[in-house]
Amino acid sequence: MLNRTRLLTAIVFALLLWAVVYPNLVVIGESVRGDGTVTVRHYAEFFGTPSELRALWSSAWISVATVLLSALIGVPLAFLFARYEFPGRRALGALAAMPVLLPPLVGVIAILFLYGESGIATRLVQVALGLNSPPWRLRGPGAILAVHAYSMYVYFYLFTLAGLARLDLAVLEAAASLGAGRLRTLTRVTLPLLTPALAGASLLTFMTSMASFSAPYVLGGGFRVMTTQIFNSKLQGETAMAMVETVMLAAVSLLVLWPLARWEGSRQYVAPGKGMAPLRVPLRSRWASVGVPSLAGLGVLLLVLPHLTLLLVSFVPDGTWTTQTLPPRYSLENYVELFAEARTFRPIVNSLLMASAATFIAVAIALAVGHLVVRRRVAGRRLLEGTLALPWALPGTVLAIALATTFSVDRPWTGRVVLVGTAWILVMAYVLRVLPLTGRAALAGFRQLDPSLEEAAASLGAGPWRTLRRITLPGLTPAIVAGASLAFVTGLGEFVASIVLYTHRTRPIAIEILSQLRDFDLGAAAAYGVLLMVLVAAAFMLGQRWIQAGKQAAD
Amino acid sequence: MRMVKPVCGDLLLIGLVMVTGCAEPGAVLTIYSPHGRDHLVLFEDRFETLHPDVNVQWVDMGSQEVFDRVRSERANPQADVWFGGPEVFFARAAAEGLLEPYRPVWADSVLPAARGPDDLYFGVYLTPAVITFNSDAVSRDQAPQDWDDVLDPRWRGQVLIRDPLASGTMHMIFGTIMYRGLQATGDTAAGYEWLRRLDAQTKEYVLNPAILYQKLVRREGLLTLWDLPDVLHVQDRGFPLDYVLPKSGTPVLVDGIAVIKGAEQPELARAFVDYVGSVEGQLLAARRAFRNLTRTDIPADSLPEWLIQVTSKLKPMNLDWDLLESHGREWMRYWDAHIRGRGQR
Repeated sequence: MLNRTRLLTAIVFALLLWAVVYPNLVVIGESVRGDGTVTVRHYAEFFGTPSELRALWSSAWISVATVLLSALIGVPLAFLFARYEFPGRRALGALAAMPVLLPPLVGVIAILFLYGESGIATRLVQVALGLNSPPWRLRGPGAILAVHAYSMYVYFYLFTLAGLARLDLAVLEAAASLGAGRLRTLTRVTLPLLTPALAGASLLTFMTSMASFSAPYVLGGGFRVMTTQIFNSKLQGETAMAMVETVMLAAVSLLVLWPLARWEGSRQYVAPGKGMAPLRVPLRSRWASVGVPSLAGLGVLLLVLPHLTLLLVSFVPDGTWTTQTLPPRYSLENYVELFAEARTFRPIVNSLLMASAATFIAVAIALAVGHLVVRRRVAGRRLLEGTLALPWALPGTVLAIALATTFSVDRPWTGRVVLVGTAWILVMAYVLRVLPLTGRAALAGFRQLDPSLEEAAASLGAGPWRTLRRITLPGLTPAIVAGASLAFVTGLGEFVASIVLYTHRTRPIAIEILSQLRDFDLGAAAAYGVLLMVLVAAAFMLGQRWIQAGKQAAD
Repeated sequence: MRMVKPVCGDLLLIGLVMVTGCAEPGAVLTIYSPHGRDHLVLFEDRFETLHPDVNVQWVDMGSQEVFDRVRSERANPQADVWFGGPEVFFARAAAEGLLEPYRPVWADSVLPAARGPDDLYFGVYLTPAVITFNSDAVSRDQAPQDWDDVLDPRWRGQVLIRDPLASGTMHMIFGTIMYRGLQATGDTAAGYEWLRRLDAQTKEYVLNPAILYQKLVRREGLLTLWDLPDVLHVQDRGFPLDYVLPKSGTPVLVDGIAVIKGAEQPELARAFVDYVGSVEGQLLAARRAFRNLTRTDIPADSLPEWLIQVTSKLKPMNLDWDLLESHGREWMRYWDAHIRGRGQR
C-alpha cells in the first residue's frame, strides 16, 4: 500500500513538474536574461516605474473586489435554489449558470451591444428618464468589476451548490434540536461545512480575475492592470519586460494562494455518514411564494440578457442595424450561410474532442492529487496542492508561448518532443488551463467526504479499486461534475492559448469566431456563438443527467 | 455508467488521432496571413483550381502574431508562406534570418520600393492611410479634407482611434505625424504637440477593429484614421462608412509576401508567391478584396473603377521608414506615458 502511494506520488509529481513547473521556469529564465549573462536590470526597471506598480496594485484590488462581489451574488443564489421549493425552480436554477456559456469575444461584443454607450439597455434607460446623454459609460474599473462579477460568480454558485448537495440533513436537525436558531445554524454549522467549497471558489475567482485580459483590455480605458501591461510590452517588442511583469503577476497570485490554501486545509470538518441531503422547503407565506419566484426570475433575466442580445444579433442581416435602438430587420441569412459551408463544422468537432480529452485528463490528475493530499496526506502535499493551482498564475498567452518554445524541438532525453502543430499541444494547454478547476473541485470533494465510509468498505473486504469505484467516486460525483463541466466549457471556448498554438487542422471554435469578427461579420460570429452556447448547454444537461444516474446507482 | 466511461474514452482517442493524424489528400501548402478570411478563401479557391493536387490551408491572425509564430517556430517551421503584413515586420524577420530568398517571376514589374533586400521579401499590395467617417452623419464635403482638419474644434469628442500600440496602421500614421514635425522643425516637440491635440479630440482609444467599426456605424464617434482596404471592405458589407484621401498626402504601407525558411513545400510556396503577384492574382485582389497594387504594368482599363479613382487622387507621402523603424518604439512609449488620455476632460 505504502509503496503504491509512493509510486503514485512520484508519478504525479514528475508529471506536474514537467507540464506545470517547466514552462514557469522558462519564463523566469527569460526575465533575467541579459546579453549572454544573468541580469536583474529589468526588475530594477519594473520597481522604478510607478505606473507598473500601480498596475500591479490595480490587478490585486480588482481581484479581491471581484471575489467579494462574486461571493455576494453566487452564495445566496445557491442557497435559494438548493433550499427552497418554488414554481420554476429547476428551470431558473439551470439558467443561473448561464454566464459561463457566453462565448469569449462575442460575449464582450454582446455586452457592448447591450450596455455600451449606444446599447439597447442604455438607450432604453436614457429615453425612459429623458436624459440628454447616456446614463452611464461602460468604462474603467467599475465596468471591469461588473463584467468580472457577472462572469465569475458562477464559480461560487456551482461550488456552493455542490457543497450543499453533500450536506447532511441530520447535522442540521441536530443543531436545531439543540436549540440553535437559523442564523446560529448557518454561521456555526452550515458555513463551516462549506468552507472547502467557498475557499476553492475564492481561489478560482481570484486567480481568474488576476489573469483576466478581455475585460480590462476592452473596457479599461486608461485603467491599467498587469495583463494589459504584459500585452503592451510584448507588442512593443520588450520581451524581457513582459516576462518580468508575468513573474510579478504570478508572484502576487501565489502570495494569495498560500494563505487561502491553508485556510481551506485547516477546516477539516467532515459530514459524518452519507445521510440525506436536506429537503427543499416550500415557501410558506403568501408574500414569499409570489415574491421570491418573481425576484429570482428577474435576477435570472438580467443574467441571460447578454445571451438574448447575442441571439438577436444573430438574426440581423449584414449592414442593417446602425443607430436604431432595436434592429429594424431580421432574417435567417446568417444561419443559412453558416450551415451551407462545410468549413463550419470542423472547428466544432475539433473543440469538442480537444476539450473532452483535456477534461478527462485533468479530472484524472485532480483525483490522483486529491487522493494523495487529503487521504494519504503524503509529505509535500502543500507543494502538490500549490502546483495544481500554479497554471492559473501564468497568463494564457505566456503559457502558450512557453509551451510552443519548449515543445518545438525533438530532444526526448530532456523531456522535449515536437508537439507544435499537433492537436496534442492544444490538449496539453487546455489541461493546464483547466487543472486548477478540476483540482479545486476534487480537493473540496475529498475534504467533504467522510473517510470512515472508505474505511468501512475496506474492513468489509473491498479492495482499493472496488472502494474507489463503489464508494469514493459516487461520493465525489457532485463536486467532480461541477469541476468537470466548468473545465469542459472553458476548454470549448478557450481562446488566448489557442491563438498561439492552433493550426488550420486543429482550429478551435473561438478562433473561427475571431476570424469572422476580423471581417466584421458580426451576424455570422453571433450565429456561431449561439451554436456554441447550444452545445455547452447540452453538455451541462448531460452532466446533470450523469449526476442523477450516479446517485441512483449509489442508492 | 461503468460501461459508458471506457467507451467514451476510446471514442475520444480515435477522434483525436483523426484530428492529429488524418492525412488530407494531396500536398498541403500552409499560409500564415493577416488578410482576413474573405481574402484568403478567394486565393485558396483560385490556387486550388490551378493546382488540383494541392490543399491550401491558411491560418489567419494579426501581423504581429504571424511574426511571433514564425519566430517561435524557427527550429521547426509549420508554415510555407507568410502572406501579408507591414514591410517593417518582414524586414525584421529578414534580419533574424527567418525568410528564404526567392525572386518571383514578376520581380521586375513591381515598384522599386516593393523589392526587399536580397530577394528575401517582396511587396504585393499598397495600403494607404485615410480619414474615415460615418457617411450617414457627415457628408463628404463636411468631412475633414486633411490631417490638420481633424483637429478642428468641430470634431472634439467625435474622434475614435484604434489603440496605436496594437495596430500597425496607427503606428504608421503616428510615425508620419512625428516625421512631418521633424522635417519642419527638426525637433520631436512639434509631432508630440500634434498628437497631444489629437488626444484632446479623441473620445476613446478602441482596442479592436471590429469594435471600432461598430462604434463608428452606431455613431458613438464620427471620425477615425484607418486604412483604405478595411474601410472599403466594411462599406461593401453595407455599413455607412466613407473615406477621404488627405490633401497634403498620406503614408502608404507596403504589404509583403515571403517564403519562410525551412518550409516543407518550398516549390509550392514559390508557386503561390508567383500567383499572388501575377496579373491575374493582382486583379483578383483589386476587384474582390479592395487592394491597391504594387505592379506597375497592369493596363488601366482592366482595373476596377474605385482603384482608378484612388490612384488619380492618392498623393503618397514620403516617409523615412528607417527612422520610423529605429525611433518608432521610443515615440510610442513617450506617447503612451505622457500623452495618452491627458487631453480628455
